[in-house]
Amino acid sequence: MRLLAAVALFLAGSAIAATPGALPDIPTPYLPSTQVAVDEMLRLAGTGPDDLVVDLGSGDGRVVIAAARDYGARGLGIEIDPKLVAEGEANARQAGVADRVAFRQGDVLVADYRAATVVTLYLLPNLVDKLKPRLLAELKPGTRIVAHDYGFSDWKPDRSVVISKTYHLYFVPAAVAGRWRLHATLPEGEREFDFELDQRYQEIRGGARVAGGYLPAFEARLAGDRIAFVLVDNGTSHRFEGRVQGALAMEGTVRSGPGRSPATGSWRATRVLRGSDEG
Amino acid sequence: MKFVQLALVSLGVLAAHPVFAQEERKPDVPYVATPQVTVDEMLRVAGVGPQDFVLDLGSGDGRIVITAAKKFGARGLGVDIDWRLVGQAEENARLAGVADRVRFLEQDLFQADFGQATVITTYLLPFYMLKLRPKLLQLKPGTRIVSHDFDFGDWRPDRKTNVRKNVFLWIVPAPAAGRWRARLELPPIERLLDLELKQRYQEVTAHARLNGVPSQVWEAALVGDRLSFVVVDTTDRDDEASLYFDGRVNGDVIEGEVTRGVGATRSVTRWRAARVAR
Repeated sequence: MRLLAAVALFLAGSAIAATPGALPDIPTPYLPSTQVAVDEMLRLAGTGPDDLVVDLGSGDGRVVIAAARDYGARGLGIEIDPKLVAEGEANARQAGVADRVAFRQGDVLVADYRAATVVTLYLLPNLVDKLKPRLLAELKPGTRIVAHDYGFSDWKPDRSVVISKTYHLYFVPAAVAGRWRLHATLPEGEREFDFELDQRYQEIRGGARVAGGYLPAFEARLAGDRIAFVLVDNGTSHRFEGRVQGALAMEGTVRSGPGRSPATGSWRATRVLRGSDEG
Repeated sequence: MKFVQLALVSLGVLAAHPVFAQEERKPDVPYVATPQVTVDEMLRVAGVGPQDFVLDLGSGDGRIVITAAKKFGARGLGVDIDWRLVGQAEENARLAGVADRVRFLEQDLFQADFGQATVITTYLLPFYMLKLRPKLLQLKPGTRIVSHDFDFGDWRPDRKTNVRKNVFLWIVPAPAAGRWRARLELPPIERLLDLELKQRYQEVTAHARLNGVPSQVWEAALVGDRLSFVVVDTTDRDDEASLYFDGRVNGDVIEGEVTRGVGATRSVTRWRAARVAR
């Protein structure tokens, strides 16, 4: 839980004079989150006993300790200042959660946090954006990222909450862009679609090519590894819901028609690899 | 299920039935049937179920009310100014086997009895949507209104979906504006909550005093009669926590639960507020 302090820091930094033209790497000053901020971050992430919460810049350990004490989760704090690491460890013992939390001294930019299911951040905007490529590439789809005050500059949060401060929640999206062969069991029989998706973070759009036409995917949504979209064909809407399974497949159920008992079928899509289908 | 355009349709209808020309009110809107996919989506977005009574304003051939009964188990009433369409809707209901659960009336939709409706469906041009708006806002809080293509101007929809067409859902908000007061049984000391609510349709903003101390109100939301908001309780500086209020507005009373804190350490108590001024 660190925070940029103020413009004063930038202006006062002698680093500016030393490297003219370049934005200096200013270490994030340590400013602990309030108890309410800790509560809101963990609540917004929907933290539970199955979670591993990784706090990048863990300070005195309050986020991971609260995650263990209040939510039964496990926690890992990454902190560059060895004194704060020791303080976190002492605080964890005192809170009786030393068996469920750990602290590692290190730089958040190189730390290994791939096992996380929840990542919490309270860092300078610069650093938040610097972390983004690795967070997107290395975290499992569906991992929740909660940022306090400063979110990613070009990635829209899945949810934001304002309670004294602003908190942003992001689900790490599965990679779904590209061409898929979509096979669906619909009430009228087996159907095969050439399905295409464009993606920008969790925002997706696309559609299915069918003989003589194109069915746009309506209400297309991606939250972590969960995907949903609607195809309207022959006057019936087919609501697809499912999970992305790795890079090459996704599957789920499809409900056709309205009302309390729509016909339920199943679907599976496999990725069409570049070149393999182009004849 | 009607669509305002102008004289053409009315003239055609009158020419074909000169006998009725004297008694019949001209439709303000020509009949344009809503596609079945949109009918399905409207009823889905409204969350129609067996407990619902669906009122369709401008019911045309009856497809919305009939679909609501046949596929969603609801009951319904359709009103339409065109007696021929009313007859056709009745026949369609018989064919669909739902004649016992739906009714159709030849009526100006502005004269319709909204009394028992829990869901109202419309398809009107903006001018008529705005004309209808004040009447709808008087309905029982929680009543759902669905429309497609056209909206209610500055009354923002609670939800919007797009499956071929834009479908909008509004939930009639309870009148919640005014000053409210509640005693909160929160250990270690009772707190007095003074709440001042401002309202524009379902959008609410609020200010609070907790034991006389001004406190900001966060995440205030009103969905039908359901009011929720958050106040940060700073009574004990060493134990600050968010108070999550959730309650139902019923006339001059709000009743519900307030949760203090989060996770394993949270505590839940009942709260009740009375309106002290409008």
